[in-house]
Amino acid sequence: MPNLLRTFRFWIGLVLGLAGGLLYGWVLQPVDVASTAPGSLRQDYRTDYVLMVAEAYSAEGDLGLAAQRLTALGSEPPESFVDAAIGYATDQAFAAGDLELLSRLARDLLDAPADPTPASP
Amino acid sequence: MNRGLLHLLIGLALGVAGGLTYAWAIDPVELVGSSPGALRAEDQADYLTLIASAYAATGDLPRAQARLALFSDPNAAETLGALAQARLASGRPVSEAQGLARLAADLGVRPSPLPSLATRSATGRPTTSPTVTRTPTLRPSPTVTRTPGAPFQIDRQELECSPAQTAPRIRVRVLDAAEQGVPGVEVLVLWDAGEDRFYTGLKPELGSGYGDFTMSEGITYTVRLAESGVLVTGLKVEACPGEDGGTYSGSWSLVFVQPR
Repeated sequence: MPNLLRTFRFWIGLVLGLAGGLLYGWVLQPVDVASTAPGSLRQDYRTDYVLMVAEAYSAEGDLGLAAQRLTALGSEPPESFVDAAIGYATDQAFAAGDLELLSRLARDLLDAPADPTPASP
Repeated sequence: MNRGLLHLLIGLALGVAGGLTYAWAIDPVELVGSSPGALRAEDQADYLTLIASAYAATGDLPRAQARLALFSDPNAAETLGALAQARLASGRPVSEAQGLARLAADLGVRPSPLPSLATRSATGRPTTSPTVTRTPTLRPSPTVTRTPGAPFQIDRQELECSPAQTAPRIRVRVLDAAEQGVPGVEVLVLWDAGEDRFYTGLKPELGSGYGDFTMSEGITYTVRLAESGVLVTGLKVEACPGEDGGTYSGSWSLVFVQPR
């Protein structure tokens, strides 16, 4: 009977400790919340990020550099981020000029070879 | 110690260790819906550079200001200037530094209220209405009236004597035909044993067309703008008379102007 009680107390402690550890690690002190990656940006900010890439691309004409900038948003193909941005921009009635820039970038990314030349740093 | 309490404490310690390991290493919190201001420092630098590159392409200063406002930096011009120097020093493309310098300069000479890019409801929750404010087709008039193709010419060259100057410098100002500072102009400094270069606009607090170089004693320098054939030769540290009868090193001021 005493053994059973000790085991019970051990498991109670384990469960309480686990709950406390998860609460602390997920809620009270999560990992480096002040330093996130561009992939975690809210949809409107992500769209504006893609729009900036498209604006810069319109002047620089460097598709490799544009693709490299888009990879900061995640591991998916760069054109997927542009597609998502176009969808959001259309929903939010962005200016026609902005939509044109995004469409041009999407089109050029789709037309580019599968492995575009990496941009110089 | 009570053996029952000991078992409880052992379980508690193991549980805390397991919980923290899981929460920090195995399945850490993944933030979604964050703002640019919460990005890592290196990602913020890339983001700011992208703002400058987009601005260089569009010339849309209000939009650039709205984007910069997301970082809540009261000294955005200085931050961009410092970032331009850091990017240049780390071997990044010159165009990046020039873009940052131009934006820093335009912010420095034309300060204005920073509009907010994102709008939020009174509760702080994101609204379902459009959260990005657009400035559809308006383009501000250019801040720099450069005449394409017209070379800069040396307009003034003088020795500046200021006891407050901590080091002898070559201080260059590049102005357009309207006497407005021109940022992002590459300035070459040559001497017998080497050469160096700097860009105007990296110290916006001193003017958008300003850049300087620190001289060393005993070396004679030649200065040339990268986009001009005009050479300014024979620049070396010269002595200025001090109030106490001694001397101190003066600085050379060079003003390049684009002809009308």
